[in-house]
Amino acid sequence: MTTAVLDELRELFGQELAPVLRRLGERPRGAADGPAARLGEEDAGTRDAVWATLAELGAFGPHREAERVAIAELMGAALYQSPYADTVTAAALLAATGDPAYGPLLDEAARGAAAVALAVREDGLSGPARPGPLTVHREADGYAVSGRRPFTAFAADCGHLAVVGAGSDGEPVLALVPRERPGVRLTRRDDIGRGDLYAVELDRAAVSGAVHPVGALWPAVLAAARVRQAAALAGAARAAVELAAERLRSRQAFGQPLARQQAPAHRLAALAAEAATAAAFARSVAAAADRGEDVRATAAQVLYLAGDLARRAAAESVHLHGAHGMTEACDAQLFLRRAAVDSQWLGTGTELLREAAALLSDTPNPR
Amino acid sequence: MTGRHPGGLTPAEEEFRGRVRALLAEDRVRALADEIAAYPPGTEATHLPVHRWLGERGWLAPNWPQEYGGAGLGAAEAAIVTEEMTLAGIPDDVHVLSIDIVGRFLLEVGTEEQKKRHLPALAAGEEIATVLFTEPDAGSDLSALRTTARRDGDGWRLYGRKIYNMKSQYGEVALCAARTTESPVAMHGITLFLLPLRSPGVHVEPVPTLCNDRFNLVVIDGVRLTEADVLGEVDNGWALMNDLLQLERTGVDFHAKARRLLDLVTERAAATGRLADPAYALPLAALDARLRAGHAMAWQQVRNLGAGSPDPVGSAMAKWYVTEQIRPVLDLALEVCGLEAALTAWDGAAPDGGVLEAGLRMGPSHRLASGTSEVMLTLIATNALGLL
Ligand SMILES: Cc1cc2nc3c(=O)[nH]c(=O)nc-3n(C[C@H](O)[C@H](O)[C@H](O)COP(=O)(O)OP(=O)(O)OC[C@H]3O[C@@H](n4cnc5c(N)ncnc54)[C@H](O)[C@@H]3O)c2cc1C
Repeated sequence: MTTAVLDELRELFGQELAPVLRRLGERPRGAADGPAARLGEEDAGTRDAVWATLAELGAFGPHREAERVAIAELMGAALYQSPYADTVTAAALLAATGDPAYGPLLDEAARGAAAVALAVREDGLSGPARPGPLTVHREADGYAVSGRRPFTAFAADCGHLAVVGAGSDGEPVLALVPRERPGVRLTRRDDIGRGDLYAVELDRAAVSGAVHPVGALWPAVLAAARVRQAAALAGAARAAVELAAERLRSRQAFGQPLARQQAPAHRLAALAAEAATAAAFARSVAAAADRGEDVRATAAQVLYLAGDLARRAAAESVHLHGAHGMTEACDAQLFLRRAAVDSQWLGTGTELLREAAALLSDTPNPR
Repeated sequence: MTGRHPGGLTPAEEEFRGRVRALLAEDRVRALADEIAAYPPGTEATHLPVHRWLGERGWLAPNWPQEYGGAGLGAAEAAIVTEEMTLAGIPDDVHVLSIDIVGRFLLEVGTEEQKKRHLPALAAGEEIATVLFTEPDAGSDLSALRTTARRDGDGWRLYGRKIYNMKSQYGEVALCAARTTESPVAMHGITLFLLPLRSPGVHVEPVPTLCNDRFNLVVIDGVRLTEADVLGEVDNGWALMNDLLQLERTGVDFHAKARRLLDLVTERAAATGRLADPAYALPLAALDARLRAGHAMAWQQVRNLGAGSPDPVGSAMAKWYVTEQIRPVLDLALEVCGLEAALTAWDGAAPDGGVLEAGLRMGPSHRLASGTSEVMLTLIATNALGLL
């Protein structure tokens, strides 16, 4: 990816459009189902336009992880919600199997013409490192799968579901399930992030092609996804801090802008330093992945740091906006909402630290 | 349930707590708490029957004299009611606004006529009083307020805009701070009025929030008020606001909110087996320790109040300390419950009916409401440490 393309992406997710993008995935609260749950026409139009621009700029194509984290950071700062992140991860896993039958779908995904939802968790309690159980049925004309995936993002927008699950021997397997087949049922969820989250019920849902064992592939694919997620969260933390700084510059109290008060200024400065550091860490882990190194431990670590940071930065941003920060009209609360979901989407802090700890003695120090 | 025993209660106080708790454990109250937790978006707690049930016994404002609808008891009993209501899942905003703030102001400086007119109805849970201090350009720096009372014969006409206030859409009367005299010193010339909210010159507009309950923008357009509507002395509002707001502040209410959330997280940890896992159990124990410490500090303020010697620095420390624990409690909720804690009451499958998710959204409000963390720290730094 050229610098020119990155510049265009920077512009796409930059100051001008960010306020629109931040609210793009928003659904009114309590509107899990029914007409209010659907995107307004204008929002849907904008969403399609952004997706088309991403495709045009080649954001879906094969990239080095270093490039992907740069894109993720920009998207995170704009709180851009879409099937992009999970499509990239699902495509990486499909590609890693080496099965040529996935070729056409992967080509479409690389052009932005197909989106794939990633369905891994069986409940909200444990993250994707340990995929939920999946029953695989051998049918006359191929395979079918049964199981539940109650936290699947953007399932309704995706033609396929990449279902990762623990098969009968407990080892992770991958099944590609076309969404519009019998046996696939989606129910929209209502969550604090007001994103587009679905409970997916699979009842002998037909699988496209084979069911692949992915025990050896999933950890590396998940690690790369975690680094991108960490970059997105670091971007969100930075943007939440910038929003608060803007507010402090414009809000007068005690005869001067709040920006002149050292206590909040220092706190924002510290968060900005943490955000920049987390982003640097994400870039360095991505570069290591591009060199073919095992980044499972460091991916868990960077996501742990960025997730914790994104939540703290969002809370501080709301706080420094004062009561205005608690209003729907203020974007600071959007960061708070998203951070609660995004920070643990690929594992909670406890899970990430536990995984990193288990690998610590095998993880060489950086030099 | 852990943390419900402050220790050091007298037998009479302990007995009082038992009776309050028994009332709040009745089926009709449990049903009401469940109903409130499941309110659809846009519906919020207002004149609640449980306030009337408490009020019938003088327990809504137990520390008020019986002639005004209280039970003639002390600060400890008032703190007990606050704690028990919150732990029982009854929202406390109406109680705090009507009883702890406006009622307290009325008791301390109201005329006999004002007391008779408002206190019994407030203590019975039949009337709601709200607080109109904050303005679009005057929050932490409240002395910058611009709502003005213009002289009009033997009274005033009130003009201004008040924002971020709660429950004004349901209130009968509000405690409203306005400028009566222009002065080069911002703190001078402020007067407190009892503003009838259901007046033609009062317009209440919703300001939707991150939480289930909305804020209001109250536009006051020429409402006529007289001496009878002044609370305390004309031009003496600033001193009253500073002195009396401190009396409401013990940290007991905020502690109870944090404790309720931590108890829910602990219950989830037990139900999922995570309480047996040190990765979750140790942080739970650490936060439990902090909340117990905060509880002790808050109750020390209650005791000071009861003894007639409130400690403004201690109160600020207690409020700051307990509200700083809420974010770590919510973080731990996400660790223990994972994405399930992110599901709203409207999802249908949220654990605890979405209480944790609502808690996540309300999280930042505790460090802002009733004096922000920075205001508390400034009070401590200046009054206790001679700094700033
Ligand atoms: C849940 C809730 C309920 C409320 N209910 C009512 C109500 O019923 N009636 C009513 O009148 N008001 C109410 N308020 C408003 C509340 O009183 C104000 O939010 C508060 O006074 C702070 O003012 P502000 O929000 O304008 O913040 P600002 O004054 O704009 O401050 C913004 C941020 O800067 C910080 N800050 C300000 N000054 C300094 C400084 N000198 N040094 C360092 N940091 C500083 C603040 O702590 C805050 O974090 C409510 C607020 C909340 C959150």
